[in-house]
Amino acid sequence: MVESTTIHLRAPARVGSVQAELRDAIETQQLVDWEQFWRPALAEVLADLDRRGVPRSAWPQSRHWNWKEKAEQVYGVLAYRGFCVIADGQTQGLAQIDLNRFARLPEQSGKPLVHVDYLEVAPWNRPELGQPPRFRGVGSALIAASVQLSLDEGFKGRIGLHSVPQADDFYRRCGMSDFGPDPQCQNLRYFEMTVEQARAFLEEE
Amino acid sequence: MRLDRSQEWWLAKADREGDASVGAGALGAQALFELPPKPAPAPPSAADETRIAFGRFVNLMRRRRGLSIEQLAAAAQLEARELLIIEDDMHHVPESRTVYQLSRMFEVSQRRLMELAGLAVANDAGFREEAVRFAARSESVQKLSREERSALEAFVAVLSEHEPKR
Repeated sequence: MVESTTIHLRAPARVGSVQAELRDAIETQQLVDWEQFWRPALAEVLADLDRRGVPRSAWPQSRHWNWKEKAEQVYGVLAYRGFCVIADGQTQGLAQIDLNRFARLPEQSGKPLVHVDYLEVAPWNRPELGQPPRFRGVGSALIAASVQLSLDEGFKGRIGLHSVPQADDFYRRCGMSDFGPDPQCQNLRYFEMTVEQARAFLEEE
Repeated sequence: MRLDRSQEWWLAKADREGDASVGAGALGAQALFELPPKPAPAPPSAADETRIAFGRFVNLMRRRRGLSIEQLAAAAQLEARELLIIEDDMHHVPESRTVYQLSRMFEVSQRRLMELAGLAVANDAGFREEAVRFAARSESVQKLSREERSALEAFVAVLSEHEPKR
């Protein structure tokens, strides 16, 4: 059964904050939103850069994934979980989890953890695309969900992920350990959260 | 999943994001931003098609006489630079005078060579086909072979004809 948690996001364009939903599944509606809204928004960003004659070397180094493909690949496989954040009736962020991975940090080496395979927020929430984000806190909510899942699975809050370059500092601020660039993963920095770090992350205000 | 927290808790997390763009994951194919697909290159025009044959023709005629580009340039009173481009670049539109000089040098119809070079329009489609066929047959980097020689000679005959009367 899909569980839903009420969360809160910053909405810079609106005073204060908005209430949103964190769900522990990626369902058809998320894939529809991805296809109908995320993709065209991304395409528009590229088209605009092209129109303005911005040289390709100056384009933001940003990643995006085919979430429909991802969903199909893991359909029915219990080791994979998904999360989404919904606000204003639209999917604002997605995360895919792998439960079959193990920690590498020496202090927890070999212990199971929640690995965040992919995490992406909607194009209009990404500051590097040139506009102020519509919502802030989507990524944090997805990380929080991952840590909670790790607790639920008996992994004591341990999580691991490969950071996109623009997020390296963010994960450090979350208190995660920086394992350094992973040559087996396109030299993305690999971060892990220990049991202690997870406790601090979930408790602090 | 019992992630019940206060509004303040969530907003503090959001504020900590700052200007960071939160994301994670390795790239698969096509997961970096890409340029929109470039429009397909325009199909070659009629002039482009025969110009390949023009360059090839000049090249083979020169080699049949055992001339270097410089020597041909000197003999035909042309710029070696232009001959180089003519032989090499099918998009280059040669000067009228150059084509005229070459037609005299190689003893072929000036009109036909102009058509081949894309400087005049041939009235008969058959000519264009002949030109393309010649270009296809004559592709080679070796010294003029017997095949090249015979292809060349056959094409010289075509270039020596006058246009069919309408």
